[in-house]
Amino acid sequence: MSGRYLARQSAQAIFTIVMIVLLNFLLFRMMPGSPDRVNPRNPNVTVEQREAAKARWGLDKPLVPDQLVAFVVATAQGDLGYSMKYQGQPVVEVIGDRFWPTILLIGLAELIAIFVGLTLGAWTGWRRGGLVDRVGNGLSLILYSMPYFVIGMPLIIIFAAGLGWFPTSGMLTAGATYSGPLDFLGDLLAHLALPLATISLGLIGGYSILMRSSITETRNEDYIATARAKGLPDGKILRSHAIPNALLPAVTLIAINLGYVVGGAITAEIVFNWPGLGTLTVDALNSRDYPVLQGIFLFLGVSVVLANFVADIVYGYLDPRVRR
Amino acid sequence: MSAAPIAPADLRGARWRLRLRNARGFARRYASRRDGLVGAAILLAFAVLAIAPDLFVGPLQTVTTATGGPLEPPSAAHLLGTDESGRDMLNLTLHGARISMVIGLLATLITIVLGAVIGIVSGYVGGRWDQVLMRVTDFFLVLPTFVLAIVLAPIILDIVGTDAELLGIRATLLVIVVVIGLTSWASTARIIRSQTLSVKERMFVDRARVIGGGPAHIMRRHILPNVVNLIVANTVLTFAGAIFTETTLSFIGLGDPFAPSWGQLLNAAQEAGAPGLGAWWYIAPPAFCVVVVIVAFTLVGNALDDVLNPKAGLRR
Repeated sequence: MSGRYLARQSAQAIFTIVMIVLLNFLLFRMMPGSPDRVNPRNPNVTVEQREAAKARWGLDKPLVPDQLVAFVVATAQGDLGYSMKYQGQPVVEVIGDRFWPTILLIGLAELIAIFVGLTLGAWTGWRRGGLVDRVGNGLSLILYSMPYFVIGMPLIIIFAAGLGWFPTSGMLTAGATYSGPLDFLGDLLAHLALPLATISLGLIGGYSILMRSSITETRNEDYIATARAKGLPDGKILRSHAIPNALLPAVTLIAINLGYVVGGAITAEIVFNWPGLGTLTVDALNSRDYPVLQGIFLFLGVSVVLANFVADIVYGYLDPRVRR
Repeated sequence: MSAAPIAPADLRGARWRLRLRNARGFARRYASRRDGLVGAAILLAFAVLAIAPDLFVGPLQTVTTATGGPLEPPSAAHLLGTDESGRDMLNLTLHGARISMVIGLLATLITIVLGAVIGIVSGYVGGRWDQVLMRVTDFFLVLPTFVLAIVLAPIILDIVGTDAELLGIRATLLVIVVVIGLTSWASTARIIRSQTLSVKERMFVDRARVIGGGPAHIMRRHILPNVVNLIVANTVLTFAGAIFTETTLSFIGLGDPFAPSWGQLLNAAQEAGAPGLGAWWYIAPPAFCVVVVIVAFTLVGNALDDVLNPKAGLRR
C-alpha cells in the first residue's frame, strides 16, 4: 500500500476529528446551559462551585485562545465534564454505563442483517426483473422506508401485548434474582428478541438494496460472460464469480455506515426502553443535560470517523484501484 | 440557406417548441415506468389531503373539542378509533398529512438550495474555494447528522424560544425544518458538483466566457439549466429523507404537540403506552401513512433519476 494514500486518509480523519471537537466547543458556548450562564440561576450551585467552574474552563479569560485551549486539553484527557441530571457523575462514566447494551443490541442486529440482507440482495439482483426480484426488492424498499420505531411498535402490539411471548421493555426483569447463568441468559434473550428483530429488519432493507445493485453491476462484467461460455451452471456462477466480486463494495459501504446505525437505532431503544445510548440521548435531550448530549455527539462522531478510516484503508488494500 | 439574422421572436418560438418536445419525450418515458406512476398517484392523493384536510374531516380536534372517549377502538362514529384524550384518529392523521408534508417540503427546499448553490459554485469556481467547500461537505457527509440534529435542535429552540413564529408556523417546527436542512445538504452538493465539473468543460461554456459572460451569469444561465435534471430527481429523494428525519425527530420529542405531524402522533402514542396496551389503531394510521409516503417518494425519485439522468441508460 502506498504511503501517500495512507497519509491522505489519516490527514482527512484527523481534520474531521478536529472539526468535531471545534464544533463541540462552539455549541458548548452557544447553548443556554453553558457553564457561565446556567450556574448563577441554579440555586443548587454554590458560589464555590461557580468559581471552580470559572477557573476550570477559564471563563474570565478570552474565548480564543484561552477557553478553547482549556476545552481541547480537557477533551484530549478524556474529561467531558459532569452530567447535570445525574448529579455530578462524570459524562464519561454515564456514557460508559450505557455503552455495552447498545453494542450488544447493534452488534447482533448487524450480524443478522448483513447475512440476511446480502443473501436477499444477491438473490434478487441475480434474478433482476423476475418475480423473486419484484417481491424481494419491493419488500426491501418498504423495510428501508420504515423508521425503527414504526417496525418496533407493531412488534410489541403483536408479540408482547397480544401474544404475550416477550416482555415489552427493558433489558432484564426488574428486581429478578437468577438461580444461575442460564436463567440470566434466558431472561436477557427474551428481552433482546424484539429489539433485535426491529433493528435487523430495519437494516435488512438497505443492505439488500445495496447488494442488489452491486450484483447487477457485476452481472454485466466480462468474467461472468466467460463463466457462462465455459458452461458453468447458473448457481455456481453466482456463488463463485458474482458474489465474491459484488461483496467488496457492499461490505465497505456497510462498514462506513456502521456509525450511523448507532444514531439511527436511538428510536428502537426508546420503543423498548432498552438501557443503551439511545435512551440516554433522549433522556439527556428531555432534561436538557447538555454535557451528556455533547459527550454522545463527540463519542459517536469520533467512532464514525474511525470506522470510516478503517473501512477506507481496508478497501484501499483490497482494491488497489481506489488508491488513486 | 439565407444569411438573414434570426428574429428574436422566431428564436423564442423555437425555444418553446424545443421545450415542448423535451417535455413530451420526458412524459412518454416517465409513463413507461409503472412504479413511478403508482408513486405519483399516491403522492397526488396525499397532496390533496394535505391541502384541504378540513374538507374531509373538519378542523383539527384539540383536547377541548375531542368528540370521543379515551382510547376507543374503531367504530362507526370513529372509523380509526380515538387517542388517549378522545380525539378522532382519522381527523388527527389527515391533519398530520398537512403538517408532515409542509415540514418535509420546507426542509427539502433548504437542503436543495444549499446543496445546489454549494455544488455549482464549488464545481465551477474551483481552486481554493472548491477545496474549502468540499472539505466542509465531506465533514457533513462523515458526521452522524442525525445525532448532530438531536444536539442542534434543543440548543436552537432554547435560544429562539418556543413562542416565536414565522408566517404562522411555530418555532418548534421551524427549528426542525432548519436543522434538517442544515444537516442533509452535503450529498446533494457532491452530486451537483460532479455534474458541474463535466458541464463546465463543454464548448458552450467556453463560448459564453469568451463573449464576456461573468461567473455568476454563466453559473445561472449555462450551468444551472444543465444540472437541473439532477436537481429535480434529487429533490424528490431528499423529500423522502426529510419526511423520514422529521418523523424520527418528532418521535423522540422534538415535535410540536399543538401541530401534530405523523411522528408527533407516534410520539404521543408511545408516551400514552399505546403499544403495551395493544391500542393498534393509535399507531397504525400515522405509521402506515409515513411508510406509504416515503415509499411513494422513493419510487418517483428513482423513476425520475432513471428518466432524467443522462447516465441512466448506461447503467442497465
